[in-house]
Amino acid sequence: MDVLHWDGTLSAKDFRIGAFAFAQKWESCNLAFPPWSWLPCPKHPWLAPPEEEGYLSLEKICISRPNEEEDIDQISQIDTGEEETCCSRNEDILDDATLVQSNHHELHYCDFHIVYSSTFRVPVLYFRAYCSDGRPLPLDEIEKELPACASKELSKKWTFITQEEHPYLKRPWYKLHPCGTAEWMKLLFLSDTANPKFEVVLELYLLSWFSVVGQVFGLRISFKISN
Amino acid sequence: MAKQGSGSILQFAPLQSSVDEGFWHRLSSLKLNKFGIDDSPIPISGFYAPCSHPQVSNHLTLLAESLPSDSNDESTMPPVIRGNRNRCYVPGILYNTNTMEGFHALYKQALLKAEAMKIWEDIHSGKAVEDCAVLSRVLLISFADLKKWNFHYWFAFPALALDPPATLVDLRPASQWFTLEEAESVSAACNEWRNSSVTADVPFFLVSIGSDSHAAVKHLKDLEACQRDGQKLLFAFYDPCHLPNNPGWPLRNFLALISARWNLKTVRFLCYRENRGFADLNLSLVGEALITVQQGWREQQCVPNAVGWELNKGRKVPRCINLAKSMDPTRLAISAADLNLKLMRWRALPSLNLEILFSLKCLLLGAGTLGCQVARMLMAWGVRKITLLDNGRVAMSNPLRQSLYTLDDCLNGGDFKATAAVRSLQRIFPAVEAEGIVMAIPMPGHPVSSQEEKSVLEDCKRLNDLIDSHDVIFLLTDTRESRWLPTLLCANSNKITITAALGFDSFLVMRHGPGPFNSILNLKAETENSLAAGMDNLALTNTDGQHRLGCYFCNDVVAPTDSTSNRTLDQQCTVTRPGLAPIASALAVELLVGILHHPNGIFAEAEIANSSSGGNFELPLGILPHQIRGSLPHFQQMTLLGHSSNSCTACCSTVSSVLLLVLDNCDFIIQVSRILLLKTNICTS
Repeated sequence: MDVLHWDGTLSAKDFRIGAFAFAQKWESCNLAFPPWSWLPCPKHPWLAPPEEEGYLSLEKICISRPNEEEDIDQISQIDTGEEETCCSRNEDILDDATLVQSNHHELHYCDFHIVYSSTFRVPVLYFRAYCSDGRPLPLDEIEKELPACASKELSKKWTFITQEEHPYLKRPWYKLHPCGTAEWMKLLFLSDTANPKFEVVLELYLLSWFSVVGQVFGLRISFKISN
Repeated sequence: MAKQGSGSILQFAPLQSSVDEGFWHRLSSLKLNKFGIDDSPIPISGFYAPCSHPQVSNHLTLLAESLPSDSNDESTMPPVIRGNRNRCYVPGILYNTNTMEGFHALYKQALLKAEAMKIWEDIHSGKAVEDCAVLSRVLLISFADLKKWNFHYWFAFPALALDPPATLVDLRPASQWFTLEEAESVSAACNEWRNSSVTADVPFFLVSIGSDSHAAVKHLKDLEACQRDGQKLLFAFYDPCHLPNNPGWPLRNFLALISARWNLKTVRFLCYRENRGFADLNLSLVGEALITVQQGWREQQCVPNAVGWELNKGRKVPRCINLAKSMDPTRLAISAADLNLKLMRWRALPSLNLEILFSLKCLLLGAGTLGCQVARMLMAWGVRKITLLDNGRVAMSNPLRQSLYTLDDCLNGGDFKATAAVRSLQRIFPAVEAEGIVMAIPMPGHPVSSQEEKSVLEDCKRLNDLIDSHDVIFLLTDTRESRWLPTLLCANSNKITITAALGFDSFLVMRHGPGPFNSILNLKAETENSLAAGMDNLALTNTDGQHRLGCYFCNDVVAPTDSTSNRTLDQQCTVTRPGLAPIASALAVELLVGILHHPNGIFAEAEIANSSSGGNFELPLGILPHQIRGSLPHFQQMTLLGHSSNSCTACCSTVSSVLLLVLDNCDFIIQVSRILLLKTNICTS
C-alpha cells in the first residue's frame, strides 16, 4: 500500500501502537506538560495489551491566562439571607488558627482524551474544561481561553467542536468532530516532500494528527515528519 | 516574609474542595436507582496529593470513584484504591438530604463533631499511627435537586483545634534549613518513598537525619526507635498547600496526634511539596511549632473542639452547581438534534439557514397519513413549532399508516388525533412546541343548518386566526373541498402554502403561488377607506395575475398536462399504496425548505427538472419546482408548472376581494353562501 492510495484512516491496532509511540515522543519532547497516560477501557478487562481497547489521557492542564478576573458565581449567591441565618446557629466555623485568604483566583483546567473512533477509523480529541472547584465550563467560556489565532483559522475549516457522549465515561464531553480527519491527514502526508513509506506514515500518524488538532488549544509538539 | 516571628499563632491554610462532574453523575444515578428516599449517610473517599506547583495549591478531590458503585451489586462502600501516588485516600462521609429544607436543617456542628470524634478515637486507639490516612477526613453535606439538576453542597475538613492554639517558632523553605548534603539525601529518600506503591500514598511520615547527613524516611510507628537513635527528627506530611508562609490543613490533626499520643511540646515539621513529580525543597517548608499542654488531652473522653467548614469565596454559605446542560435529558436531546443539523451545514450545506427553521411556525391541516409524516420530517429539519388540526379520532387501522399513533391511542373509542399526535411528538422530542386543535374545516357544498351556523362561523374565524398566526400552512386533508377555504384564506394572507394529495398510486405535491395581492392586507380593516384602498390595489395587481404560480384549485380551470393523474385525484381516494404518503410528505417538507432558502421565498419562480441541468444548481438545495407529480407504477416523478387562473375558485383576485368584503361584514354566513354562488358563476362563465 502506498500513500497515494491510502484513505487517511488508521486501524484500531495501529492506533494502539501509535498511541504508545506518541506518548513516548511527547514525554521526551515536551517538558512543559505532564505525560499522556494510557487508560485501558473497562469493557474488556480480559484482553491484554496490545489487544485491549483504551484511550490516551492528559488531565488537569491549566488553560487560564494569568491575572484573569474571575466571574462571581451567580448561582451560589441565591438565598444568601436564608443561608447566613442558618449558619449563625453554628459556632466555630473559623478559629484563630485558620488562615483566611482574600485572593480567590479561579483557574481553569482542561482534560484531553484521545479516543479511537471505529466508525471513522481515526483518532478523535475529546476535551472538557472546569474550574478549580470542579465546576464544568461551557464551550463559550473555553473558547475565550483558546489562543485567538487558532480558533479563527482552524475552527472554520478543519475542526468542528461538538458535544457528544464520551464513549467510555458516558458523560457529555466536547470533541473535535472527526468527519474531516481522514481527508486532511491524507493531504498532510501527500504534501510532505519527503515522501515517506507507508509504515512510517502509520508510525507518525498520531504525532502528525496532534500537531494539527493540538494547535486549537495551543498545545505544541515540535517534530518533523522527515525525522 | 520567609520567617514567622516566634510566638505568633500558627495559621494553617484551609483545604479546598474540588468535585469532578462525574461525582454528581454517580450520586444522581445512585439516588435514582439504588437509594431512593433513603437518606442514610453514604461512605465516600476523598483524594489529595502533595502540592505540585509553586503557585497553585492542590485540592481535596471527589471523583465518581469516591462513591460506591451504581451497578446492581451489593457493595455499599466506594472502591478503595491504594498505592496511587496522586490520589492519597481520605475516608469520608456524605449526608445527602431529600429536600432543600432538610439540607438547611442539618445540624452541622454535630456532624462535624461526630467526624472529629472518629479522628480522636483513632488517635487514642493507635489506629492513626498504623494507618495514618485516617488523620484526615472529609465531611460533605448535599442536596441534589434532580429536577433542575442543581447540586447544593458544603464541605468540611474536620480539624481538632488545639486550645490554646499552637504557636510558630520558625518557618522557612526546606532548602534553607537543611545542609546541602542533607537536602540531597532528604530529596532522594522522599522520592523513593513516593515511588514505591507501598508508601506512595502514605501522607504522614518521619524523616530522620543522622550525623552523617544521611536521611531516612520512616513510618510513624517507628517513632520510638527514631527517638532512641537521637537523630534529627522531622514530622513530615504531604502538604497540598503552596503558600510560602503557611503550612497546609493536614498538619492540624498531625499536631493533635503528636501532642495527644507522644506528649511532645516542640514539633519540627516538614511540609512536603513537589514539582513535576519530584521533591522540591525550595517549595517545601520546614518549621517549628510549640504546643502548650492541653487540658485533659491525654484522656480520650475529653474531645477537643472541631473546626473545618469550607468557606465559599470567603463567605459562610454552601456552594451550588448546575449541571442541567450535561445531565438533563431534554437539554441533551436538543443539543444532539442541533448537532445533526449543524454538521450538515458545516460539511455539506454552508448556506443552510437553521435560524429560520428553528423559528418557523407550521400549521398542518390534517393529522392523518400525510400529517403524521410531515410533522416528523419537519422536526427532523429542526422545526420546533408545529400545530396540528384535525377533528377525527384515532381508529384501529390508523397506527399502521399514520406514524405518530400506536394502539394505545385507539382504545376507548380512540383519542382525538390532534391531541394524540402532539403527545407523540413530545415523546419523540420533548423540546417541540406542539399544539393540537380539534376542529372541522368548514367546507363548501356541505349545507349548514341554522343551529350550526354560529359554530361554523366561529370555526371560520378560528381558521383564519390560525392561518394568520403561522408562517407555513400544509394542506394535508383527505377531501378536495376541505382544502378550499384554507387555500382561499392563505392566498389572502400570502402565506406559504403547500398541498400534498394522494391518489391510489400517484401523488401531487405543490406549493401555492403568492396571493393576488402583493402585500398582506389587514383583513380586519374596519374603515371604508381601507377597504376602498384594497379594491384599488387589486385593480392594479389584476394584470399581474397571469404571472403568479397557481394554487391547488387553479387546476380546475387550467387543463393539466397529464390527464390520467388528474382523474385519479378526482376519485377522492382514501385507499392508497402505503409508500405514497411517506414519499409525498417528505417531498412536501423538502419543498418547503427549498422555498425558505430561496431569496424570493413565496414569490420564487418555478423551475423544471431536466436531465441537462446536471449537478450544477444555482441554489445549494437544488431547483425549486412548482408541482411534483409522482407515479408509483412507473417509479417516476415529474416537475410541472401551472400558472394561476383569473377564474380560480380559491385564489383569483375577484374571490379574494369578495372575501375581504365578507370578512369585514359581521353577517358572515350569508356572505359565505354568496361565495358559493360566485363559485358556481365563475365555473360556468
